[in-house]
Amino acid sequence: MPQIFSRKSNVLPHLSLGALLGSGILMVFLVWYYFSPEYTDVGYAPEQPVPYSHRVHVDQLGLDCRYCHNFVEIADVSNVPATETCMNCHAVVLPQSTDLAPVRASWANDSSIPWVRIHQLPDYAQFSHAAHVTNGVGCETCHGRIDQMDVVRLVEPLSMGWCLECHREPEKYMRPNEEITTMGYVHSAGFLKTNLNRIAQEGIRPPTNCSACHY
Amino acid sequence: MIPLPIVDGTPRGSDRKLWRSRPHLEQDPNLTEQIPEELIPGAADAPSGNNRRHFMQLLGASMAMAGLAACRRPVEKIMPFSDRPEELIPGVPLHYASAMNFRGIARPLLVKSHDGRPVKIEGNPDHPNASGSSGVFEQASLLQLYDPDRSKHILRTGALSSWDDFLSLCQRFQIGNRRLAVLAAPDHSPTRARLQAQLENQFPDTQWIDYRSEGDDAETLGLQMAYGLPLQPTYDFGNADVIVSLDADFLGSHAKNGNWNTASFAQGRKLNGVQDEMSRLYVAESTYTTTGTMADHRRRMRSDAITTLASQIATALGVYSGTSPDTYASAIASDLQQSNGRSIIVAGESQPAEVHALCAVMNHALGAVGTTVTLSDTGAPVKTSQSEALAALVSEMQSGQIDMLLMLGVNPVYDAPPELDFQGAMRRVINTIHVGMYVDETAQTSTWHIPQTHYLESWGDGRSWDGTLTPIQPLIAPLYEDARSDIEILHALNGGQHAKGYDLVRETWASSLGEDDFEAAWRRILHDGYLRDTGYPAITAVPAFGGSLPEPKSGLELVTRLDPTLFDGSFANNAWCQELPDPITKIVWDNVVVLSPKTANDLGLVCEYSKGRYYSDIVTLAVNGQEVELPIWILPGHADDSVSVTLGYGREISTTRSERDTPFWDKDDETDIYARGTLATGVGTNVAKLRNALIQPVSHGVQLTATGQKARIVTTQDHGILDTEARPLVRSATLEEYRADPAFPLQEEAPTPSSGVKTDFSDYPELWKNQHPAKSPALRDSDYWQNQWGMVIDLNACTGCNACIVACQAENNIQVVGKKEVGNGRELHWLRIDRYFVTEGGEDLETDPQIVMQPMPCQHCENAPCESVCPVAATVHSPDGTNQMIYNRCIGTRYCANNCPYKVRRYNFYNWSKTIPATVQMAQNPNVSVRFRGVMEKCSFCVQRIRETQKRAGLEKRPLHRDEVTTACQQACSAEAITFGDLNDEESGVSRAVQNSRGYRLLAYLNIKPRVSYLARVRNPNQELEPAKSS
Repeated sequence: MPQIFSRKSNVLPHLSLGALLGSGILMVFLVWYYFSPEYTDVGYAPEQPVPYSHRVHVDQLGLDCRYCHNFVEIADVSNVPATETCMNCHAVVLPQSTDLAPVRASWANDSSIPWVRIHQLPDYAQFSHAAHVTNGVGCETCHGRIDQMDVVRLVEPLSMGWCLECHREPEKYMRPNEEITTMGYVHSAGFLKTNLNRIAQEGIRPPTNCSACHY
Repeated sequence: MIPLPIVDGTPRGSDRKLWRSRPHLEQDPNLTEQIPEELIPGAADAPSGNNRRHFMQLLGASMAMAGLAACRRPVEKIMPFSDRPEELIPGVPLHYASAMNFRGIARPLLVKSHDGRPVKIEGNPDHPNASGSSGVFEQASLLQLYDPDRSKHILRTGALSSWDDFLSLCQRFQIGNRRLAVLAAPDHSPTRARLQAQLENQFPDTQWIDYRSEGDDAETLGLQMAYGLPLQPTYDFGNADVIVSLDADFLGSHAKNGNWNTASFAQGRKLNGVQDEMSRLYVAESTYTTTGTMADHRRRMRSDAITTLASQIATALGVYSGTSPDTYASAIASDLQQSNGRSIIVAGESQPAEVHALCAVMNHALGAVGTTVTLSDTGAPVKTSQSEALAALVSEMQSGQIDMLLMLGVNPVYDAPPELDFQGAMRRVINTIHVGMYVDETAQTSTWHIPQTHYLESWGDGRSWDGTLTPIQPLIAPLYEDARSDIEILHALNGGQHAKGYDLVRETWASSLGEDDFEAAWRRILHDGYLRDTGYPAITAVPAFGGSLPEPKSGLELVTRLDPTLFDGSFANNAWCQELPDPITKIVWDNVVVLSPKTANDLGLVCEYSKGRYYSDIVTLAVNGQEVELPIWILPGHADDSVSVTLGYGREISTTRSERDTPFWDKDDETDIYARGTLATGVGTNVAKLRNALIQPVSHGVQLTATGQKARIVTTQDHGILDTEARPLVRSATLEEYRADPAFPLQEEAPTPSSGVKTDFSDYPELWKNQHPAKSPALRDSDYWQNQWGMVIDLNACTGCNACIVACQAENNIQVVGKKEVGNGRELHWLRIDRYFVTEGGEDLETDPQIVMQPMPCQHCENAPCESVCPVAATVHSPDGTNQMIYNRCIGTRYCANNCPYKVRRYNFYNWSKTIPATVQMAQNPNVSVRFRGVMEKCSFCVQRIRETQKRAGLEKRPLHRDEVTTACQQACSAEAITFGDLNDEESGVSRAVQNSRGYRLLAYLNIKPRVSYLARVRNPNQELEPAKSS
């Protein structure tokens, strides 16, 4: 009886074994990359009910973050401003703009503007803006160059590993409290030493134990 | 291998027997095999059903999971205010002073609001009549607000109507001389009193009855009998040396002034050193109550026989000529006489007015009035008996003389005695208006129903027990547009115009405060939650009692009581209350006929224990021409020839909510307690109708006949059972023994080689050697390291009232699992109160056990056994010494629960949190994760409160204040039995409590170093009745 498989086909089992191994490794990498918040979440930039541009307000007009997000230093959540805050200016500025129609409607009907949440932590993670911005973590550190964005998008993965990078070595990321809202902040020379001094002086020790954030 | 020590010698207290239930006492193998187990049998079993169904369930679950991977997180919206109210900062909670009307008394509260939602209720710490603590019903009233079955619409003969329609009815009613009758829940609100006066002015023939579902207010009627005025007594138990309770459950959750009584009683029981004095409590009662558990001498006797005891004591004291005293009565009398006025005699709600009057005379004769008893004049007019007034009203209704009947927050169709035929009489009245939070029995038979607002939704006022004027401030607009408050309805009736509750309350206060600077004074009152110096004046008067006490009858008696968890049924639709175990029987979601072992035996009734479940005989209980079927419950310590039942069950509340119906692979409809109609409907049996026309709490001529059927009774008394044979879990001594050896609890440790107490564990192998996690630099290098949290629980103060359990449930988003799942041992209460019967050698084990309550939260062991077995490090130690549970890491192996020697870990067998209705979701605390199926949970020492306080201190750039952090259970506890704080701070409350010589730790010999310690119980028996043991 002639051989059905040629001699060459002896290599097939080895090849398929290799392919299996290879695809296994590939799977690990695919999951590692594609299932991480870095891939799934970063870049999320949903359309908002009002085409509000941070670039215009922050970069061109020079508003401070805290003009609108005014409770960031005292509350866990950094508040999205009430319509009243918008109307402080827009009652006079661009009163006819069609883009601003939802804002005027909200003001007239005493209803909320349904902003879409971008920076969303899981419910089991407790985060306090106040604790961070009063201890040298700038807005930019987590939210990126908001002043360059017409449409806000997520720039950091907001994953636990990413949080811990800073909690373990805060001196690499901290800035003086006066520069908290500065966009495009450049660390001064020798900032590591300054920060380490400050950490020692003020006793800034970011917790890394589980129940600091998870409860 | 560790060489185990050979036990020699007997530790102190080993003749004391600690047991939870009859099977436990009898060492039923079904129960003893549970002791080493994590859960009761069946708890960890797969859901029942056939195999195919299981397969489909799994298929459905895996498809759902596969589907999940493809989904993005759902889009979440941020809804900022259009015009933000001043002071409302998103994410920062606000606190408002308010009050809750409970049995006519305003209980002062401080309510926490999170982004406009009330989420937690505490006592108002500044109020002169409150200490910042709160009881079961204040805590549970939060869920009442969010109850999905609350009535939502104004109904006219069952059809939708409107407030305008009602107003036009009121306008039409103004014309002519109409006869109005009002049945109203008791309330001391000045605004309501003002509107009542106006109404009586407008309709001179108005009949106003303060309707109490439990019947006549015997206490007030009794004091009126003695003093001629309806005076109100306030007892200072803290200053009393001898306290005698005649069937009075003054420490109970349903006691009118329960929180205050508990606080003051605990003051007289705390021992910080051998020099401290302690009061002595005598209790005579028919069933076991929370007050009975605290007794130094408890005598179980029929409720109607307590008049004999009262007569004997009074005779011995020389203020009454009745039966000559027996040993017990004369011992009490001589003890009372020796106390020089530092004594209190208090009679209970089941006692007739005569006993109350006699108690007033005795208190006066002993010189207690002015020392420990304060009488205040509430300014109320002379009271008539409610039962007489009600009977008169019903006959007028029958004869068609009443044009309109208004029922404010009462439910007479449910709880009025059937002899009166209240429902029949209602049909003879053209307009019957029911105002209530539910479309209940009365609402369904009334021509009008108006939804009542919750007290957190409407303006009001009231008076606390001491008379202090207390405003009731809402925290949220009414959830349902049609809901109206009592005062708004009374005002509408009186002129047909609508007025806002706020204006009505302000009008009352403006007239009493004066116009000058009213605004400032009003704001101050709302801020403080009370108006200074408005308490009732104390008066002195001489009581007299010329009557005679009713004689006890023979034959079986029935005592009807308010339920310690459902009250009179107004909390029946509250899931927290239904799932709260009865303090004594630990039964949930049911009512039973409680009787003593002897009575059960005489009647041939049994409660069978089989495979870890209780099956009781169902009996027909016939009395006063009525009968109901109820299962029995045998309670050691209950009086013979007496049976007890509690009100509040067998409700029929209708709802418009649709039933949950899920596809066959989804168990949500089975595990959702809200899936099938209202919670209260079908739970237990209504026993209110067993009472005679006078609504007396004690009935005679009771017939109890077995039906031959059995019912499964769900009780948590054996849940989390620990080995009491060799382990001194509850330690106690008499006051004398304590004074002789203040450190007596340590003598009860399990015996160790060469006797003596083992305190040095250095010969034990070290599990981690020098790598103990608590010693690692990672833990030390943290700010949290500075505080080491600990807790001390004083068993001498804890009455087992359950307030801590509900407070914990409200604070920590603990879900309710329903009767069936509690029966499977799947309840989620983080804190349980272990109720132990204690008998000492030589006594008859079945008849006269004492009861000791032991609250059991997570003990936060420093060498926690749970931590070492978790494969995913989901439970680990924090630098501040708490054992933390990290839900997002938990994969549900349940190894931790298996390894916990205290059985305090709770597992989410089902997805309880998924099915809770939208309104109930509003009650959840946003600072605590809501747990999902497959996750372990347990007491966290309220870590969210610790972290919140630390964050606030950090923002204010200051260290934590001493005792700044309180846990929910500690805050609620009226007895201040729970002390929590920083063990690193030598001056903190907990550090001082830890120094107390009565302290001991549970299972300390395991070397697991629990952070919770207990202060042993001390009893103060009378030498005459209980001679000291020769040893």
